[in-house]
Amino acid sequence: MPGPKRTLSIFSFSKTQKRFLKYCLGFFIPVIIAYFILELLVLNIPINYKVFGTYLDTHSRKIKVMALGSSQMKCGFNPALSDENAINFASTSQHHNEDFQILKGTIDRLPKLKYVLLEVSYNHLELPHHPNDYWKNTIYLKYYNVNAFERPTWFKDRLVYLSNPRFYSHKLMDYYFYKTDHSQLNEYGFDINNYEGAFKKLNYDETKIASHKFKIIDREDTAIFKKNTAYLFEMLDYLQAKKLKVIVATLPLYKTYLKERNPNVVQRRDSVLSVIKKKYKNVILLKEETDTLQFTAKDFLNENHLNPDGAKKFTALVNQKLDSLN
Amino acid sequence: MFLPITLLLYWAVGFKRIKAQNAILLLASYFFYGLWDWRFLLLIVASSLVDYFAALAIKSTESNGKQKLFLYSSVLWNLGVLFLFKYYNFFIDEFAVLFNMQQGEYAFSTLNLILPVGLSFYTFQTMSYSIDVYKKRIEPTRNLLNFLCFVSFFPQLVAGPIEKASDLLPQFSKKRSFKTEEVKEGLRQILWGLFKKVVIADNAAYIVNMVYASPEDYGSLSLLYASILFFIQIYGDFSGYSDIAIGSAKLFGFKLSKNFNIPYLAKSVTEFWQRWHITLTRWFTDYVYFPIIQKNLRSNIRRNIAIFLTMALIGLWHGADWTFIIFGGFQGFLIILERTPLSKERKSSLYHKSAIPKILLPFFSFLFITISSILFRSQNIEEVGIILKGIFSFIPSEHLASIINKRFILFLFIMIALEVITRIKDFPLTQIDKYVNRPTRWIIYYILIFLIFRYAGPKEDFIYFQF
Repeated sequence: MPGPKRTLSIFSFSKTQKRFLKYCLGFFIPVIIAYFILELLVLNIPINYKVFGTYLDTHSRKIKVMALGSSQMKCGFNPALSDENAINFASTSQHHNEDFQILKGTIDRLPKLKYVLLEVSYNHLELPHHPNDYWKNTIYLKYYNVNAFERPTWFKDRLVYLSNPRFYSHKLMDYYFYKTDHSQLNEYGFDINNYEGAFKKLNYDETKIASHKFKIIDREDTAIFKKNTAYLFEMLDYLQAKKLKVIVATLPLYKTYLKERNPNVVQRRDSVLSVIKKKYKNVILLKEETDTLQFTAKDFLNENHLNPDGAKKFTALVNQKLDSLN
Repeated sequence: MFLPITLLLYWAVGFKRIKAQNAILLLASYFFYGLWDWRFLLLIVASSLVDYFAALAIKSTESNGKQKLFLYSSVLWNLGVLFLFKYYNFFIDEFAVLFNMQQGEYAFSTLNLILPVGLSFYTFQTMSYSIDVYKKRIEPTRNLLNFLCFVSFFPQLVAGPIEKASDLLPQFSKKRSFKTEEVKEGLRQILWGLFKKVVIADNAAYIVNMVYASPEDYGSLSLLYASILFFIQIYGDFSGYSDIAIGSAKLFGFKLSKNFNIPYLAKSVTEFWQRWHITLTRWFTDYVYFPIIQKNLRSNIRRNIAIFLTMALIGLWHGADWTFIIFGGFQGFLIILERTPLSKERKSSLYHKSAIPKILLPFFSFLFITISSILFRSQNIEEVGIILKGIFSFIPSEHLASIINKRFILFLFIMIALEVITRIKDFPLTQIDKYVNRPTRWIIYYILIFLIFRYAGPKEDFIYFQF
């Protein structure tokens, strides 16, 4: 006699399987709860991306300037001091491929967008792009609603803590336990209290700064250079097609850093800037990298990042360029 | 979510419905592979069909000539696909360099092809199936579903272990009953694999990537430390992956081959390769080394040539670059030296065994392996030169303290200690329920999960996915 028809359901599990399922649930439920507590704690930390996201949501119809770039731009451009309504999407280690994804992913939400401030730092063109599963893609997805993964996203792609446990574990400890997070973000997500760098520790003493050791990447890679340059041009073509005006900027570096740069890398980067100037009518250059007259030790956080005082000066220079574009 | 859902469906259909279970496995495997790039599903299906029908054709004829023809067709297809996707550009570029030609001057140009994930693994698996059928070591299967599952079984599809058809294929025809102990073992092995990958390998990778990004900035000890860490990284990464794969297979009632056996305890380079990526070494031994030496086991020259060629091919298997070929060749050279007697007392040329206490032998082989792993990590020969020059020019290491992370060293020590203490077992957590009660076990698991979350290194792809 044939047995009863088995259906594909939880009820078709054997007793052993059911017992094991309960065992697993008993074990994993605390893990899942603990994880979500962590996630909530992380989401509660006032990080700049969150502020950018909120600002984007609330001011998207007013934003005229978008700044993109790495930590240099993040520290160097304060949208609060911009003459035009601006948003600064730059963040640490952000490369052109992320810049481009953010641009493409937000442009339709910014009807008034007119200008893009784009950073091409000393070694931007010889550093490899991040892969498609770069941890910050979760941030872009979560806070800016930008899919930089270039694939359909899943639930896990929105889990912030899981995207970089190492980074967020430190953040959690710093914020909740050690209380060492001194950042003071303005409504644009710019840290107006960002002075705690190497230079402050050295009391901005130029003699001490001269002997201060720092890390600089002086490695050359012409293959990456070619690839990144082509990508940059693709990005500029896109901006041109969208009829946006672009300021391609190099940000100030302190003189000790300037001395240590690899001349080949600098020369290649500068040659690209010259080509950009000739090729794109919608682009103007803001070359401040070697500006050691306006930017002194007191304007720097460390050898290659400005502090809020330096940002004030740099943002004023951006304002001048914006005026010239109008 | 993929694994729990597949697992629930798989066991929900009941162990008596083997076909349904296999169909679920096949769909899950193709879905898993398709997530990366669905276009390459066609390739894996094509490869499977070629070998499936080639094996049946070999079996269907008595004529040795025809059998050979079918075998060669299968091997040609597999090697052709591998060559096209993995080696074509390399050979074209090298050809151009050899004859000092610029692009456009020669008839063949390089192709803009992506290397399909896991190609080297499943190609070798399917190829060995046809060879084994030809050699009459196994009977070909007539069950296409089982064969497709054998080629694409998702736990081991993208980075092995490379299974022999005689070991894995029959498991698809057998009933798999749900054994709680086996499933628990699988989960424990996955947990251990995750610890090795996320806490050990990814943290090691952070330092290695930093140092190898600008080796000129680091002193000799820093470079040596980073090179040792690279060995640890690749071990944690690949053996961690293997544990995850073997553990996942256990959840479905399958047994996969052991791929690592504490290689850092190897007392010689020969032994190292018997402990490292065991299934790859086994494959090359069976299908390359033995066919070369054939029956002339006593011919030293032939044996040495076979060793050198096999190891160089193992190097080439890893990637289309001179660094990998030299890496393999160097391993072959060391093995030959180890096996070549110095005098009539049959001492090794590499080690004066009598002069070295037995306990120190692993350090010597570890040193050789570390040095050769520089070839494995470097992007090109120039970089190898920079690293080796840096190590042997005894430049003071100002950054050494900044790249030594005490907590990481502690985790590494814990991993090594646990593996060494439990070395006769498959992995340290195996059969833990025999020794400790449930609350203690759960505390151990929770600690490991905590470490995985709290001390995970920056996310790194599995190294062997690129092969």
